[in-house]
Amino acid sequence: MNAIEVSHLTKNFGQLVALNDVNFSVAEGETFGFLGPNGAGKTTTIRILTGITVPTSGDATIFGRHIVTETISARRQMGIVHETSNIYTDLSSWQNLMFTAALYNVSKAEREKRGQELLELFGLWERKNEKTNGFSKGMKRRLTLAMGLINNPRLVFLDEPTSGLDVQSNLIIRDVIRDLNAQGVTVFLTTHNIEEANLTCDRVAIINRGRIAAIDSPEKLKKTIQSVQSVEVALDPVPHRAEEELRGIATVSEVRKLGDKFQLFTEAPPAVIAGVMAYAEQQHTRVISVNTFGPSLEDVFIRLTGIETRHHGVKTVD
Amino acid sequence: MTEQAEWVRQLRVEFVAAWAIAKKDMIIYYLKPNIIVSGMLFPLFMFLAFAVGRPGEPSIMIPGLIAITILFSASSIEPVSIPIERRMKTFDRLISAPVSLHAVVLGESLSGFLYSIAIALVPFIAGIVIFATPVVNPAPLIIGILLTSFCFATMGTLFASYPTESPGDIMSMLNVVRLPLIFISGIFIPVESIPAIAQFVVYFSPLTYGNDLIHAAYSGTTAFNPLVDITMLIVFILLFQCAANRLYKQFND
Repeated sequence: MNAIEVSHLTKNFGQLVALNDVNFSVAEGETFGFLGPNGAGKTTTIRILTGITVPTSGDATIFGRHIVTETISARRQMGIVHETSNIYTDLSSWQNLMFTAALYNVSKAEREKRGQELLELFGLWERKNEKTNGFSKGMKRRLTLAMGLINNPRLVFLDEPTSGLDVQSNLIIRDVIRDLNAQGVTVFLTTHNIEEANLTCDRVAIINRGRIAAIDSPEKLKKTIQSVQSVEVALDPVPHRAEEELRGIATVSEVRKLGDKFQLFTEAPPAVIAGVMAYAEQQHTRVISVNTFGPSLEDVFIRLTGIETRHHGVKTVD
Repeated sequence: MTEQAEWVRQLRVEFVAAWAIAKKDMIIYYLKPNIIVSGMLFPLFMFLAFAVGRPGEPSIMIPGLIAITILFSASSIEPVSIPIERRMKTFDRLISAPVSLHAVVLGESLSGFLYSIAIALVPFIAGIVIFATPVVNPAPLIIGILLTSFCFATMGTLFASYPTESPGDIMSMLNVVRLPLIFISGIFIPVESIPAIAQFVVYFSPLTYGNDLIHAAYSGTTAFNPLVDITMLIVFILLFQCAANRLYKQFND
């Protein structure tokens, strides 16, 4: 049985079509990434899958339980880590955990045992009785994650779990995602951090304008755009019109300046490397370094959504 | 597990969750300035403004003060706590828990209910200690305080369903309803003295029935049969609970 089964899911808000005939499934034990630009339908999908919002049409089941007609039973299977660190800052981390455990009907003995385990895991045990209003952003996020796991869920929804966090919290949370996966827990992860999805997810879905644009493993998705390979080159000195002239090398489709380097996009990296060497000789300049890169998951994302994220901030390129 | 056993188990789970929500509200919100002002000081000043200088025995004034205090205190917690929880996104935690919306509404109302009972003790004790006001029949007082508190706590939860993150938005709407209730519920003007044209409105005010019960405890006389008061308060509670459940569902979507 699949952990999540989504079939022809559509959600309209008045005239706005937030989700349009979305279909996908997530196998039990899988770490599934859900990527998309802002407004693509990620949050609506999560709200439907967690039973907060009712779809206009279509079906969704969680471990075989229909999310609209068997909402409570479906929710018992899941833990939810919302996008915001929605903890009660007037309560201590222990009180926050115990409150969530009571909401999820975790027995008293179990909730105390589990609460201690989680606070230790997330490095918060020493401060369990402190009010959380003095906690750092990373600590609040870790506590939010602990609260999402208090009921030992079979499926965890993680909505942007590492967004804006310090390196330490980021690493702890990524480790926890891997541990959950190793324990057979299904993880549904939405993130803006494409590299995070690349590192942690078995499969990813890319959603854009309410439709699923692609679903596959990160590596298979990258293979679909082999044409987006690149050669990164550093020259010294940098010729005055280098960016424009490098674009003239055969098979180069695009050139980007990255600090003191140039990134040349191409389908044929060896030919471009030869072209760069010839250009350097002609310009009497020295090639300091040359590196070649395959397509990244981010390139796939950009290709499918038309959103540029990495080099020029966020802008539409189509 | 049989269907019946599962139903009983889920009912228990719903009550545990409702109690957890109420307990959480008590810890977090009971000492918030808006709640203290709305729940304790505002009704006291309102009462003084209309009662001082008017002829009246403490046995008539004290039940009125208790009723007004319950109206304002019971309905003050949720209109503050729920918008704050929406702003902090903690409300999402409640509505995505594996319990029904009825349990969430009940939990929120429970905190207002308990707060109101505690606050209602202030004028009650003041009546005994300062004015030596005797309670001739404690049963309607207890039932009146319990049902009226729960009724207005549920009303507060109902108003708090309005999808805003600002407590002020809800408080202004709520006051549009709460303030007129004081004048059409037999607290300052006996029900029978209200002009005939406005008489029918009296029956639509839960405060009429709550005040009538509490008043009975002090005077021994009632405008309605106490069973009518009790029934009407229960009807209002169910009405508010169901309406709140429906509106939270609609607005969450």
